[in-house]
Amino acid sequence: MVDKSQVIGLCRSLLRAGRQYPDYNIREYAKRRTLDGFRMNKNLTDHSKVEEAYAEGKKQLEIVERVVKVYSAYPPKTKNIMELKLQ
Amino acid sequence: MASMAAASTSLQARPRQMVTAVKCFCQGSRSNLSFTLRPLPTRLSVSCAAKPETVDKVCEVVKKQLSLKEGDQVTAATKFAELGADSLDTVEIVMGLEEAFDIEMEEDKAQAIETVEEAAELIEEILKAKA
Repeated sequence: MVDKSQVIGLCRSLLRAGRQYPDYNIREYAKRRTLDGFRMNKNLTDHSKVEEAYAEGKKQLEIVERVVKVYSAYPPKTKNIMELKLQ
Repeated sequence: MASMAAASTSLQARPRQMVTAVKCFCQGSRSNLSFTLRPLPTRLSVSCAAKPETVDKVCEVVKKQLSLKEGDQVTAATKFAELGADSLDTVEIVMGLEEAFDIEMEEDKAQAIETVEEAAELIEEILKAKA
């Protein structure tokens, strides 16, 4: 039985994991994708669908955590222009 | 001789009294100073324990995240739900606050945040623990 706090917890874990990417583009994409994904399924009422979506989210979390480790081994050498402050 | 002795003892007694009197005065002024140095709730109209700068910064982040217009009121007591934010928006706001203040909030504490007030207090708690 997946309840609301678990879903919110999963969203938070995904956002936190996505923050660790060294590459700006993937970092922003992870944040955008998790929020879009959760918003898309926000009105699901069918319980089995909710469970399905939750399992999918957990899988994605594992993937993100694994890939962050790989990408951190080869971080980009220069900062992305979007990360520079306006002067 | 006796009068001189009496005078000397009285002289000795007086400085001690004066010293104690001065001490009391110093302590009194010191305690008064310590009260006035901390501008606690008496200045704020809302009975919140968070500093106004923190509350202002939180309000800024919230306004930007929810894309509120300039005219919309965001005060310490505003609930996020009042501003039209659902639980996902609240998670996003909390993430934005974590980035703005460079802190990490615990899951259960973060889930309990409902107003600007609570967010600011939690932020200050964490900042104090970090320092």
